[in-house]
Amino acid sequence: MSIVRTLSSRRWGAQVGLTLLGLLALPASADAAHVKGRLEGFRFLRNPVWAEAKETSNHGFSFREPVPTVRAEFRRPFPHIPKELCVALLASSPQPAPKPILVRVGGGRTTPVTIVVPPGTRLSFQNTDPFKHRLYGVDIKTFSAAEQGQGASREWTPPGPGTYEIRDEAAPSLRMWIVAEPNVASITYPSLKGDFSVNVEAPGEYTLQAFFAGKKVGDAVPVKVDAADVELRAAIKVMDQKTADAEEKASDEKAAKAQKAQDTK
Amino acid sequence: MLASRFWYVVLGLLVGVATFLLFLATSMYNRAGARAMGEALSSDSQVVAWYLSNDARQRSAQLISFGVDADIARSLQKSSDNDQKVPQEAREKALAGLKKVNAGIPADQAFDAVFAVDAHGRVVAHLGYEQASGNQDFELGGYPVVADALRGYIRDDTLVLDRIYRVVARPVEADTSQMPAGAIVGARILDDRFARELSSRTGAAIAFYTAGARVSSGAPETFNSAQLDQIVGDFSSLESDEEYQTKGRSKVRTIAGMVGVQYSRLPGEAWQLGAGYAVAREPKAVNGPLGFLQKADDQDKANAHVALAVVIALAGALIGIGFSLLEHTRPIHNFRLEVQKLAKGESDQLQPSRFRGVFRQIASDLNDGVDKILAKGGGPRRGPADLKEVLGDLPAEPQMSAFSFPGENMPAAVGAGSGPHSMPISTPRALPTVPGKSLPKPPGRAANLDSTMEAQADVPSSGGPMPGSLPGSSGAPSELAEWRAVYEDFVSLKQQCGESIDGFTYEKFEATLKKNRDTLMSRHGAKRVKFSVYVKEGKAALKATPLKD
Repeated sequence: MSIVRTLSSRRWGAQVGLTLLGLLALPASADAAHVKGRLEGFRFLRNPVWAEAKETSNHGFSFREPVPTVRAEFRRPFPHIPKELCVALLASSPQPAPKPILVRVGGGRTTPVTIVVPPGTRLSFQNTDPFKHRLYGVDIKTFSAAEQGQGASREWTPPGPGTYEIRDEAAPSLRMWIVAEPNVASITYPSLKGDFSVNVEAPGEYTLQAFFAGKKVGDAVPVKVDAADVELRAAIKVMDQKTADAEEKASDEKAAKAQKAQDTK
Repeated sequence: MLASRFWYVVLGLLVGVATFLLFLATSMYNRAGARAMGEALSSDSQVVAWYLSNDARQRSAQLISFGVDADIARSLQKSSDNDQKVPQEAREKALAGLKKVNAGIPADQAFDAVFAVDAHGRVVAHLGYEQASGNQDFELGGYPVVADALRGYIRDDTLVLDRIYRVVARPVEADTSQMPAGAIVGARILDDRFARELSSRTGAAIAFYTAGARVSSGAPETFNSAQLDQIVGDFSSLESDEEYQTKGRSKVRTIAGMVGVQYSRLPGEAWQLGAGYAVAREPKAVNGPLGFLQKADDQDKANAHVALAVVIALAGALIGIGFSLLEHTRPIHNFRLEVQKLAKGESDQLQPSRFRGVFRQIASDLNDGVDKILAKGGGPRRGPADLKEVLGDLPAEPQMSAFSFPGENMPAAVGAGSGPHSMPISTPRALPTVPGKSLPKPPGRAANLDSTMEAQADVPSSGGPMPGSLPGSSGAPSELAEWRAVYEDFVSLKQQCGESIDGFTYEKFEATLKKNRDTLMSRHGAKRVKFSVYVKEGKAALKATPLKD
């Protein structure tokens, strides 16, 4: 398993730390350039699992109350972007599959939650919990549910382009999205603050695209990379408040309808 | 017997009504029991749900102690600031903080496991969850309950990990202007201890289950815990319970008629995993009217009006016996007394007016029968037997000559007409003159048997007076005198009957009597034999009665 090349700057410490965890296995070398940037609006994203869990119609709790001392802006089900928001550098042509990538299964989720890889990339799912998991691919015949004990691994390779969802029969909160994108050259994950740095092996023209929950979020940003690092001047906005509010409102209305229907029943 | 029969009908009706009422009571009892059980189970289920929620709330309050602990807060903040890994120092300080705070929590509010989680979801320190010891990658950040806590919520959840855990979590804040530094998570295992505790507080038999298997249970002492094993076999049918699928609580179900159960899903992530709890009660039902005896406890028996039941039973029995005495025993007794009087000759006939009902009719019929018999000249006597039947054929000569007259062609069927056709003798007060010795000698034996002799051979007489007999004393002289009187009566009767007495001498008569006397005395062991005369088929006949005294 290769490791994404690290940077000397402390600013990119978070990204380096993540890569050291073995999350990624995309090609990298010591001479690679980096595309640095910042994401914003990610707190307007909604983790679909947590957003569903807060709906009373889903019976996820018997009580759920806000703590007054925590500011309201934090009381949203925004994702933990170091694991859930994948920044992919897309080349103009299909890329070869990298070495196998480790995906940890533990703590009620996978790490990472969303990953973008070229088709044919072998993914190794390792159970890091002290109890069993039963991963399966949604509508994926080649990824049926199978029991994994503590420390056990199983592998799967996305056969072609597309988005694949992985779930766990033993942990409903666990949902992972695998985006098989032929042109993906490199990926990275931002820090809690949204800063990111993605490796570039070969100079050329690329496109930066953020992925969340198996879908593209924010605009695609074209990047031309030469030998030196590239730092994006403008932050990539993955979600704006207006859209988030509209989505949340729609979601709340949908949940209210579901609750009403359930009460009527 | 009308009252007795009426009483039997009343008793029959009462027994029928009582039986009907017992079955009615059985059905009502079972229905009421089923309804009560259903209501109780619904109540139990609701109480358990409230308890689980309330217990989580109360325990979540204990998390505040962890949240405000400075060491824990600082440790979590330090860990959250490090994207790469959890600093060892933070682990140690967080663990020390957990231990310190945990030691101050009351035992009844304590957690089985406590986790300190940083903003990344990583477990910085934990207590009571030894399965994760040494696991540096152990985290909980993906669970909604932890994610919510990290985003400023306090809430509960039920997680199905290696076991079922009731979990509460709340944020830990180091700087209120920033996101929470982490979260503190407390967990209680839904094991047998928890189930027993829950059962003791709610009074319900409880079993927790997941993945189609019972994982823990607790029940009151009065409940047969083995009954809870039966819910395992009932899980598969839960899929078809619409209420359970939509509302998370099944209808009340009775398994094999032995245990009533209601299933409820556990709130939280366990809801989606099919984990839940079952409350159970044994149905209050009886198999039949006799089942009450088995179900009744001492209190029930004490409340039963045993004395009243005994009084009713005795009253019923006494009334029945009274009717029986009045309508059966007493009439029979009276009838017997009257019949005894009749038998003793103290009365000539029964008095129907003294009887009731059928006995009156019987008495009347009996009187009519006696009258008819008397009108016929007397009924057949049961005791005296035909002398010929007793002694066999009497010798034709010379004895029989004493009873016949020469020249008469009488039928030889001696004794053939004895019995029902005999007539009672009307004792002649004026005996005819005894013929002298000049009476002609009787002809041959074959045709001279025209008289009949009977003997009371079956039951020797006690010596009472016989109809038509002449009084006499015991001993030879008196016997001869008696025989003489009998002879005279016989001759007289023959004359009355229009029979010839020619040649009928006393000597022959005496010889015949003597021979017959000896035969009867030897056969019956009688001391003497009394002879009497009577009319048989219009002819004079002799009757011999052996006497034992």
